[in-house]
Amino acid sequence: MKNLYAPIRARVTRIEELSENVRLFRFKKDRGRFAKNHGGLTFIPGQFVMAGVWGYGESPIGILSSPYEDSFMEILVRKVGVVTNALHRLNVGDEMTIRGPYGNGFPISSFEGKDVVMVSGGCGIPPIAALIEYIIQKRERFGRVYLLYGAATPEDILARKRLDTWGRHINILLTVDHPSPEWKGHVGLVSEMVKDIEINPLNAVATMCGPGPMMTALERILRPLGISDRRIYVSLERKMQCGIGKCQHCVTGDSYVCIDGPVYNFDEIDKNWD
Amino acid sequence: MQREAKKLKVGIFDFTDCEGCQVKLVSLRERLLALLERVEIVNWRLGQEKNRMDRFDLVLIEGCPITQDEIDLLKLLRERSTHLIGFGTCATMGGIPAIMDQKERAKWYNKIYGPQYKPRGIDSLPLTSYVKVDFLIHGCPVDENEIVRVMEELLSGKKPAYRGYSVCFQCKLAGNPCRLINGKPCLGPVTQGGCGAICVSGGSPCYGCFGIRDTAQIEGLLDILKGMADKEEIERYFTMFLRYTKEYNEIVRPFMERENG
Amino acid sequence: MIKNYKMEPVIERNSIPSLLKILSSDYSIIAPQERNGEVVFDDLKDPECLVLGYKVTILPPKKYLFPPEEILFTYSGKGVRTPSITSKKLLIFGLSLRDLEAITQLDEIMSTPHPDYFYWKRRSRSILVGVTDESVHAPPGGDLILERMDDELYRAIPLTQAGKKIVKGRFFKKQDILPHKGEGNQVMEELRKLLLDPETLAEAVKWSRAEGHPVWEELGKRCIGCGICTYVCPICHCFSMENSVSLDGSTCTRCRKWDACTLPGFARIAGGYDHHPSQKKRYYNWYYHKFVRGYKEYGKSQCVACGRCQTYCPARIDIEKELLGIVKDYREACG
Repeated sequence: MKNLYAPIRARVTRIEELSENVRLFRFKKDRGRFAKNHGGLTFIPGQFVMAGVWGYGESPIGILSSPYEDSFMEILVRKVGVVTNALHRLNVGDEMTIRGPYGNGFPISSFEGKDVVMVSGGCGIPPIAALIEYIIQKRERFGRVYLLYGAATPEDILARKRLDTWGRHINILLTVDHPSPEWKGHVGLVSEMVKDIEINPLNAVATMCGPGPMMTALERILRPLGISDRRIYVSLERKMQCGIGKCQHCVTGDSYVCIDGPVYNFDEIDKNWD
Repeated sequence: MQREAKKLKVGIFDFTDCEGCQVKLVSLRERLLALLERVEIVNWRLGQEKNRMDRFDLVLIEGCPITQDEIDLLKLLRERSTHLIGFGTCATMGGIPAIMDQKERAKWYNKIYGPQYKPRGIDSLPLTSYVKVDFLIHGCPVDENEIVRVMEELLSGKKPAYRGYSVCFQCKLAGNPCRLINGKPCLGPVTQGGCGAICVSGGSPCYGCFGIRDTAQIEGLLDILKGMADKEEIERYFTMFLRYTKEYNEIVRPFMERENG
Repeated sequence: MIKNYKMEPVIERNSIPSLLKILSSDYSIIAPQERNGEVVFDDLKDPECLVLGYKVTILPPKKYLFPPEEILFTYSGKGVRTPSITSKKLLIFGLSLRDLEAITQLDEIMSTPHPDYFYWKRRSRSILVGVTDESVHAPPGGDLILERMDDELYRAIPLTQAGKKIVKGRFFKKQDILPHKGEGNQVMEELRKLLLDPETLAEAVKWSRAEGHPVWEELGKRCIGCGICTYVCPICHCFSMENSVSLDGSTCTRCRKWDACTLPGFARIAGGYDHHPSQKKRYYNWYYHKFVRGYKEYGKSQCVACGRCQTYCPARIDIEKELLGIVKDYREACG
């Protein structure tokens, strides 16, 4: 029997300051590489790790790097509480702690052969970024793929360099609320970009992130596109302590976000009382 | 692990009180010595002979600021400190000095010292009535383990957190019969835990010296208390330590007025 | 002629302290005793202080298998150290049938989906001996059950190898036992009956919220959120982690501590968003877990009707009555 509450040691190998409160952390295992599953993935896009600092605790954070990468993982950390503040104080070379990956992840095999629409805003990019990395590797297996990404200002668009790379493989529709003078792209709501999307709604799936843009995305983009609630996938955020379905903090309705989630189809969570 | 290379400069001050919370600090014994490896106490009237007024990383204040000198010193300490922490209920909520009744006091002053007497004491209000306070270590007296916990959190750069649970947690662990069930008033359910439920274990009620717990259901407790105590008694419980809390003024007082009306 | 009696192991009431004395050389004995007018499970220093035939203890025996506070690991820069649990084996004596049933449920919960290292370290080193005034038809769990026949005599029902080993000892003898009708447990009898139909209970509790049953508004006001119902519950098992760096900066510790879903902050995330923002929601969650989610997960309610939550609720919420009311209204509304 193993002590599943004890994390493993990881080492920070890269830190990118993405905005005042958001940093990207790349880390590697102290010893060896991340284990791959039968499909050659180190995690399923949509899964998360319990990332932390010794003595400060840990937080559930979605993995952003490519699931094919086994030498490192990347997460985005927004500074909000004790743990994320402690993570922000780390420097390259410092130790951090990792447990996981945990959770279900997107039902990626069921996405194959379908059009995929991904909607994200601000900080909600990580699980979608991992999904895009996954899709790009097997691009021919998917139909038309769209990323709709909205941010407050051009500076708030995370991972700009990656967007350029992804743009060679998938359709990216960017929009900002407050453009800078140099901004050449779309201004306004993500939902205004619906007209630019061409998919077969009966053979499409969608993903969306993060509580803010979620309802707007649902009401004004995905439903109008004709995608059914059962094919719209959402990643939920809940308080977590154990990550393995014991402590009861992350429950929603009849399920544990840490093991049955964090990814749900919209129909599932719509019925939950909490 | 993150360690501060430089020792934190600490000042420990006391205003009007019994100094019992400082005794608790001393009774940390070995743990106090461990703490001294990480901090430099530059000012502690009760604990050392050589003291200086410096800039402080951390100031602990015990006692209630009653005289103008104390109030002025409090304001000066606020200016000179990064973290200012109330230490014990007299500092955090007014404590024992704040039990006094202003009107009664004026009457007795007049009777004992005569009308010419000018009292030095102005009022007995918690630190927060005068300055911004970063954290409150409640307790009459403070609990040793809680001092250590808050110090550990400060030293490791965390924002100290209040206990989210009630006195009832440790009270049940102690195997105490519940006072409320036995028809005896108790403020345990709305009071922040961490005290070890020592009062109830010793046969006394909980008067809430650890401060009101986050999102406490005070109306619910008042409904229970109503069934076992008259208005004066409930009032007495809530004014022992909690008179200057937001909850007392916004929930308990209006409740009492409604009950009267 | 049908023989309606059989030879079974028995022990005399008077021999029980001596039995415990012998067992105490191999085990730390935990047993119900009186403290301040309440009965509590505690280390049994003097076997004569044993209390049998009590109604209920404040804290359930879960505290010995899942302590209120325990260190999960320490880290000192060199590596992670999991504390070893090597104290003497435990023998918990005098559990009621309902407490035995609760531990059987906890065993299942603490195995799903992964075994809980700390629970099982303790559980696998413990022996459970139930003592009851009720007649035992289907033993709910444990290693040995002593069923009271009369003031002097207890029938021994060994259920495991460990239980059989105890019964082989010299304080037990074989005797003809006549069929015996126990006294029954007077606690929460009606709820006990409801628990036999966990599906209806689950549907009723779910229905009551969906239909806006006024009971939740009322209980949300009465509940003072003290957490007592969860601490005294023999099955409640939620916890939080506390992480600390020692005063000298040398050691990091993660500790888990009992939490309570009725406390604010239970579902609040960093940054402040609260998924259970009202006492009504938090209190309902307690019922939802026990009677709806618990049923979905394990096919039974996470309740054994031990009566503790009701006995020790300072707001005197009559949980049995409220549940009966909900089920009655549900049946009337949904036929």
